[in-house]
Amino acid sequence: MSIVNGFYTVRLVFSKTGRARYISHLDLNRTMARVLRRAGIPLWYTEGFNKHPYITFAAPLSLGCESLCERMDFRLTDETLSMDEIVARVNKAMPEGLQAISAAEAVRKMSAVGFAKYRLQLSCDRGIVGAFLEQPSIEVEKKTKKKGGVLTVDIKPHLQIEEIKGETATELTAILPCSNETTVNPTLLLTARSAFAGREIKASSLRLELYDIDGEIFA
Amino acid sequence: MPTLDELFLSVQKPSRYTGGELNSVMKDKAAVDVRFAFCFPDLYEVGMSHLGMKILYGLFNEQPDIWCERVFAPDTDMEALMREHDIPLWALESRDPLTAFDFVGFTLQYEMSFTAILNMLDLAHIPVRSADRDERYPLVVAGGPCACNPEPIADFVDIFFLGEGEEVDLEVVRLYQQMKKDGSYSKAAFLHAAAQIEGVYVPALYEVSYNEDGTVAAVTPQEGVPATVKKRIIRDLDSCYYPKSFVVPFTDIVFDRAQSEIFRGCIRGCRFCQAGFIYRPVREKLPEVIDRQSHDLCRSTGYEEFSLSSLSTSDYTKLEELLPMLLEWSEREHTNISLPSLRVDGFSEELAQKLNVLRRAGLTFAPEAGTQRLRDAINKNVTEEEIFRTVTKAFNAGWSAVKLYFMMGLPTETFEDVAGIAELGQKLVNLFYQNPNRPKGKGVTISISCACFVPKPFTPFQWEPQDTAEQLAQKQEHLRQSVTTKKISLSMHDNTTSYLEAVLARGDRRLCAAIEEVWRRGSKLDAWSEHFDYDRWMGVFADLGIDPAFYANRRRSYDEVLPWDHLDYGVTKEFLIRESKKAHEALTTPHCRQQCQACGAACWKEGVCVEHR
Repeated sequence: MSIVNGFYTVRLVFSKTGRARYISHLDLNRTMARVLRRAGIPLWYTEGFNKHPYITFAAPLSLGCESLCERMDFRLTDETLSMDEIVARVNKAMPEGLQAISAAEAVRKMSAVGFAKYRLQLSCDRGIVGAFLEQPSIEVEKKTKKKGGVLTVDIKPHLQIEEIKGETATELTAILPCSNETTVNPTLLLTARSAFAGREIKASSLRLELYDIDGEIFA
Repeated sequence: MPTLDELFLSVQKPSRYTGGELNSVMKDKAAVDVRFAFCFPDLYEVGMSHLGMKILYGLFNEQPDIWCERVFAPDTDMEALMREHDIPLWALESRDPLTAFDFVGFTLQYEMSFTAILNMLDLAHIPVRSADRDERYPLVVAGGPCACNPEPIADFVDIFFLGEGEEVDLEVVRLYQQMKKDGSYSKAAFLHAAAQIEGVYVPALYEVSYNEDGTVAAVTPQEGVPATVKKRIIRDLDSCYYPKSFVVPFTDIVFDRAQSEIFRGCIRGCRFCQAGFIYRPVREKLPEVIDRQSHDLCRSTGYEEFSLSSLSTSDYTKLEELLPMLLEWSEREHTNISLPSLRVDGFSEELAQKLNVLRRAGLTFAPEAGTQRLRDAINKNVTEEEIFRTVTKAFNAGWSAVKLYFMMGLPTETFEDVAGIAELGQKLVNLFYQNPNRPKGKGVTISISCACFVPKPFTPFQWEPQDTAEQLAQKQEHLRQSVTTKKISLSMHDNTTSYLEAVLARGDRRLCAAIEEVWRRGSKLDAWSEHFDYDRWMGVFADLGIDPAFYANRRRSYDEVLPWDHLDYGVTKEFLIRESKKAHEALTTPHCRQQCQACGAACWKEGVCVEHR
């Protein structure tokens, strides 16, 4: 661990479950800045007119989705705190539903994330899920960056189904692209499935792990 | 029926409804005696910014046997889902419906929230009228500035708390607990007993009679009930409870920062300002107390900014002592100090720079009126010279935008005063171009914002008519024509909301029926211009035979019985009449520290009333 340009970067792995799944990505940024301040972490602040702590996240999680594998980087001005101490302090300052799991010096760039694994719980039986997945293409509508723009994308080629469990309430484990180039949000999949079944299918989603483009766990 | 969790994913900004924010208080409901639902009759973003709620939330929850939770008005998308699925309004912490509570308490910050109160009660499946609620329902209580004339909502609320709540709220809860315990509790017996506590107003125990001309003839208390109710104040703010932590919201709210209260009341006595009279007398906190409380709050919340809160922060007598104390830790911890409503020219250059005064406060002035004569009439003691001095400093420092706040329709206002608003703006434009140190290559922008004056109870203008819509429209047009440069940008408020405020602020109990009816016809978030429906209100007034002009546009005589005359806020009617007369002669009144005006607030023998001068 070494200080370069006055700081070094720590990557925190944390979970976001329960009530915390309703914290939007934008709000999470603000919430975490306050958590770190409350935790008494010696944060490094940006220079300039509007000084603020440097905090960044890997692969934004969609609202309502829970996760066991969120990653957040922040910069510290001194290296006296051990990683265990950082985790312990942060956990004391976290609101309900957010929990730090581990911390380590950040090495790879956040942009190295390529895929994410999700577990989806669906309120429909296995037959429908099977039929849905066997379609030649699965088209979803994605909002584009242009205001009001909608793009139809086939997500079938991107789907990697790992496991299907259960009969009436189906549990599906899937790996979806999650990079700067392509991201398939699990809610898109759920919307498509509801459309396929012709009724609203209730579902909950949990992000289990992040991988790089080679399929290795992203650290 | 869908679960709350399923609803949350279907609405905008769900973290407004989920609870679970940092520092929110969870308790075991089986282990507490009294449950208090603190309701803010507006959206989460607004209500969560309110300091009074934070104080009382902390104060109640410090008691092991009381659990206080928060409730806000749902936004329209959430309300539609709640009504569709018949889900009653819940409190954020326990997610229990309001009917599970002993007390449902509302804070009354502005008149336009009255319909939201009815809507929240109804969403909670609680009858809106006090008379329709028996022992099966929670007690509905309310406090805050609008409690100084609570008559327009008297039929809906069981108990009003007058003045500051830290002591009286607890006394009422303790009385309730005791009567429940000894078996003497019934709603009627409790209300009667509570009415004996100073600061407690139980409107059902007072009968209002009217004269033929529609004015109030008398307010008669039932036997054994005090004829006048006096507001409560906290005598010693230094030892009074102040929260060590605030609930920290996830979503962005209006004032998303820690707030340190530095004093209550205001020495100035601007004649239009209700807060300047109903919070008397001025009581300051010691700098070391403010310093400790500010630091505690920042540490427990992680907030990167805190503000010093009061009605007029530059009037704090020990500001020069306090600020270095605060800066000592705030700079080290990267915490910003926000100083609202500050006179910039009172600071040394060094301190101003450290505080980043100009950047933080922006450059905002509230001269309120366009000519010195009218400023004298409203007792707003700001002179053009003071404004010019500060603005020059700002232009020297590279600023090129100034914002000015005015009111239109002030008592004694003429077209000359209205044109004076534009002239003041023009003088600032000239000041910019005459300044050799002005920022180069930039034009100047003077933004003028002009609100409509609303006469309020317990002010020297409580007898004044509000200008009619026609008068205001003429004055607005006159102002528009008086502005001859594009360097001045003009924004004028719609006067329909101000008209409604004027009706409700000085209304009597006969307005209860109108408020209930307009709510039944669909009004609920009137404080939001996109939801406010002026024609609906006017339709209800017409249908119920109520003349809104009687309340808004009528000049009252000094000897008329006003609907709030049985409530005592310390300031006497004699004093307000003296001030009213001086206003009509454009005579100013020195502030409390210059010369006591015997306003009546000295009855408490506290604060500025007993300061050594």
